[in-house]
Amino acid sequence: MFKNHLNIAWRTIKKDKLFTFIKIGGFAVGIAACLLIALFIRNEVSYDEHYANKDQIYRVVFQGEVQGEVMKSTHFQLPFADALQSDFPEITKAGKVNTIEIFGAGKRGMRVNGQKENTFEENFVLADQETFDILEIQLQEGNPQTALSRPSSIVMSRSKADKYFPNGDALQQTIFLDNDTSKPYTVTGIMEDVPENSHLDFDFLLPIEDTNQNWTNQNYFTYVLVNPNTDIPALEQKMSLIVEKYIIPAQIKRGRSADFIDVLRTAEYKLQPVTDIYLKSDLKMQDGLKHGDIKFVWLFAAIAIFVLLLAVINFINLSTAKSANRAKEVGLRKTIGAFRNNLVGQFLTESVIFSIISFVLGVVLAWALLPTFNQIAAKNMELPLSAWWFLPILFAAGVLVGILAGLYPAFYLSAFRPVNVLKGTLSVGSKSGRLRSGLVIFQFTTSVILIIGTLIIYRQMDFIVSKELGYDKERVVVLEGTNILGNKMEAFKEQLAELSQVKSVTATNYLPIDGGSRNGNTFMVDGQDDGGRGVPAQKWRVDYDYINTLGIQLKAGRGFSKEFAYDSINSIVINSKMASELGLKDPIGKKLDNNSQIFTIIGVIEDFHFKSLKEDISSLSLVIGKDVGAVSVKLEKGNPAEALASVEQVWNRTIPNQALNYTFLEEEFTQMHADVQRMGSIFNSFALFAILVACLGLFALSAFMVEQRRKEISIRRVLGAPFKNIYQLLTLDFLKLVVISIGIAIPIGWYLMNRWLEGFAYHINIGWEIFSLAALIALGVAIVTISYQSIGAALLKPTKGLRTE
Amino acid sequence: MLLELNNIFKWVTTGGQRIFLLKDINLQVEQGEFISVMGPSGSGKSTLLNVIGMLDTFDEGEYNFMDESVYSLKEKHRANLYKQYIGFVFQSYHLLDDLTVQENLEMPLIYKKVKGSERKAMVADMLDRFNIVGKKDLFPAQLSGGQQQLVGVARALIANPKLILADEPTGNLNSKQGEEIMELFKQLNEEGVTIIQVTHSEKNAEYGSRIINLLDGRMV
Repeated sequence: MFKNHLNIAWRTIKKDKLFTFIKIGGFAVGIAACLLIALFIRNEVSYDEHYANKDQIYRVVFQGEVQGEVMKSTHFQLPFADALQSDFPEITKAGKVNTIEIFGAGKRGMRVNGQKENTFEENFVLADQETFDILEIQLQEGNPQTALSRPSSIVMSRSKADKYFPNGDALQQTIFLDNDTSKPYTVTGIMEDVPENSHLDFDFLLPIEDTNQNWTNQNYFTYVLVNPNTDIPALEQKMSLIVEKYIIPAQIKRGRSADFIDVLRTAEYKLQPVTDIYLKSDLKMQDGLKHGDIKFVWLFAAIAIFVLLLAVINFINLSTAKSANRAKEVGLRKTIGAFRNNLVGQFLTESVIFSIISFVLGVVLAWALLPTFNQIAAKNMELPLSAWWFLPILFAAGVLVGILAGLYPAFYLSAFRPVNVLKGTLSVGSKSGRLRSGLVIFQFTTSVILIIGTLIIYRQMDFIVSKELGYDKERVVVLEGTNILGNKMEAFKEQLAELSQVKSVTATNYLPIDGGSRNGNTFMVDGQDDGGRGVPAQKWRVDYDYINTLGIQLKAGRGFSKEFAYDSINSIVINSKMASELGLKDPIGKKLDNNSQIFTIIGVIEDFHFKSLKEDISSLSLVIGKDVGAVSVKLEKGNPAEALASVEQVWNRTIPNQALNYTFLEEEFTQMHADVQRMGSIFNSFALFAILVACLGLFALSAFMVEQRRKEISIRRVLGAPFKNIYQLLTLDFLKLVVISIGIAIPIGWYLMNRWLEGFAYHINIGWEIFSLAALIALGVAIVTISYQSIGAALLKPTKGLRTE
Repeated sequence: MLLELNNIFKWVTTGGQRIFLLKDINLQVEQGEFISVMGPSGSGKSTLLNVIGMLDTFDEGEYNFMDESVYSLKEKHRANLYKQYIGFVFQSYHLLDDLTVQENLEMPLIYKKVKGSERKAMVADMLDRFNIVGKKDLFPAQLSGGQQQLVGVARALIANPKLILADEPTGNLNSKQGEEIMELFKQLNEEGVTIIQVTHSEKNAEYGSRIINLLDGRMV
């Protein structure tokens, strides 16, 4: 019996190749899309799942309200971790990590003792011995108890050790960072490479050598390992004691007002599970780490389900549409002795076989598309083909989906009464017509929503890229790893500025891009009592050419100038936002108090976007200072390659033993919105999948509609109906459904995309033109799809359609 | 007695009016009979055949098949009955297009859960008997009408039915092919198979041992 089912299924496939292709192909596309999304989601939720003690590891978050706005911070004071460990028995260990460039994290030039060439390396992180244990860093060589306990130690990953010491003798070797031969580092450990799906990514670990035990500077991530079964909310509550015991006394000592202290008292500590850091962190935390977005995970999961649903619907639709052809078979089989369950079995077997073939094709398709998808998603995912559970689960899913998709057609088809079929009185298809219309509407509604989403994401991206930023990102080259210049910095800058292709040069890592330095400061108007709260603002250390190199517009006053000696001591330039936050109508000449240091406002600049466009522009100030992590060079118009060559010459003259690393400000800006762009591309590709599946469905459905109405069409042709008439007859039926779908999709799409846009402080407004365009696309695709069939039918010779009767 | 119809009525209601398809049919069929049902188009011949074959229901009356009252049987039981004892032959052959001759013949046996080896033997037997061994791997579309009907008859016979119902078995055939099929029926009848055929042709009707004439659903 089963062999016979297989046989029939195979013949059915062979008999109607186009139909089979659409049925299986559409399904396979759906499965491939689903698989890829599943891989993506699996990767996103797998972050930090590798810690054995993941349920006991937390990152500390500080959370308070300043002037009605919730502030969150993940940076803490140096002694904070020790205090946690000694004051709270629930906390087994507390460790600190520093990722800030001026402390030596981030990008460094590195050189093995005895070699001449420096190599630019990006992933330096500072950590203490406790962090080693908390984050379960596995040492392959070296003593894990002491690897980071002494100054000037360095721990590197296996792959970096193999790169620099191919002979495997890395341990105890000497390394210089940024050309600084006065401070040799000793390799004290080789660790396993940090898994790609870790929130904290590093190739090199350096010990924390900062000894400033004050309670006012906040520079360290703090991780804790708690005892099993610790009551976390209770512990969080208890941790507030830290504020009272250490922070408030220190702030009072610094002379902060009582109001400020009151604000501090309302703040609280939160413990964020390590597994939440990647996906569920708040933008406000500004931890500078790479993050995913749980909203996207849900969104993609929804898309995956919808694409699969569309494919399954196609499957059901096509199966019932074909019922006309199979009704006779059902009737016959019943008269020669088939029971209903025989037929149900037959149709289910067929469906399962179709489904399994589709799954196989789907896996192959996913496998073929994975490299492209990896590129789009900036990930390194693999199909877990060798995992013991993968193929069995897929097989089970294939059988299950096959059965589910086959149930309706199976029961629908097997219910035909033989006498009706054989007498020819059964009007197949009319009964299921409404259901099929419903399914078509569902498919197209989904597709139109996805089209709307695609269009809006595209527009928003375009908006971001072409937005006036308040600074000029064009033709600005950012040289990285310039710490290495040390005291040669001034000379280097001068030499660059002398180049004819260079307009101006500025040295600072405080740049309006990701990876630029950031800080948090509080300013008060000097002598004005605002309750001591002050205005939180960035204080960027820049040089004299910063404002004109970045093309920032001055609104009032002047920029920094070497003519005024005091500019390098106590002059400050603020942005418009900060002026209004401070409540200053005429800010020039006013004095500001920052940590008891007094600055005089000499200029006000226009606001410029120094964060992602997801966020509002906040208060920012510029002072003259040293921050030499990067040098930005504004080029004259002309051939950038030539200009770069000249810049490189100067660099090589100054630093002969390290290659120049550079990037363009414009690229970095795009990079800052790469996550949005990436999500947009992923969304768009899957929207395309969905639309493709829906169109395949429509194509096949219209084919069968035409086949069913062949006799009617022939009769109409005999009676003299013109081509146009028949074409309309066939096409309008489907277009009606598409129009209904558009009507349903627009409000849903509007609502959903509005929610998405709300995530951007700066975004486009959704206008009618987007909906019109989406509607036009949907209609156009539908018309093309259907026309292929209906034109063919309308041109049919009438005798052909009638002869079969 | 193989089957017995007593006062069978069948109607459809359109616009509040009953239109009778079968009206007061009384018929007894003995084992081994060969009955021809005749009548003009729309007289109820096929309906009668379908009722006898239990493919269709009736609204009033009594139908006993091998001493079982068909009316009181459940659908499933009824289906069992006809599957076991009745073979059908159709005007337009109604072979399964996707199956070869051999597989078409095998199908009823599969549904009857006959074992594979036994099935093969029965099919081979039937192919041999109908002289179509050479055609066993062909699909219906590759056969002439007469050959298709031959397969149709063979398929009806393969499960050893007590009764063969043939609805205009020669309707789509030319006269020579038709004659062959009728000769075949005659021969089968002589071997003991009961046959009820519907036909338009006086000549074919003559093959039967008894002729029933229908007009507007009544026996005349």
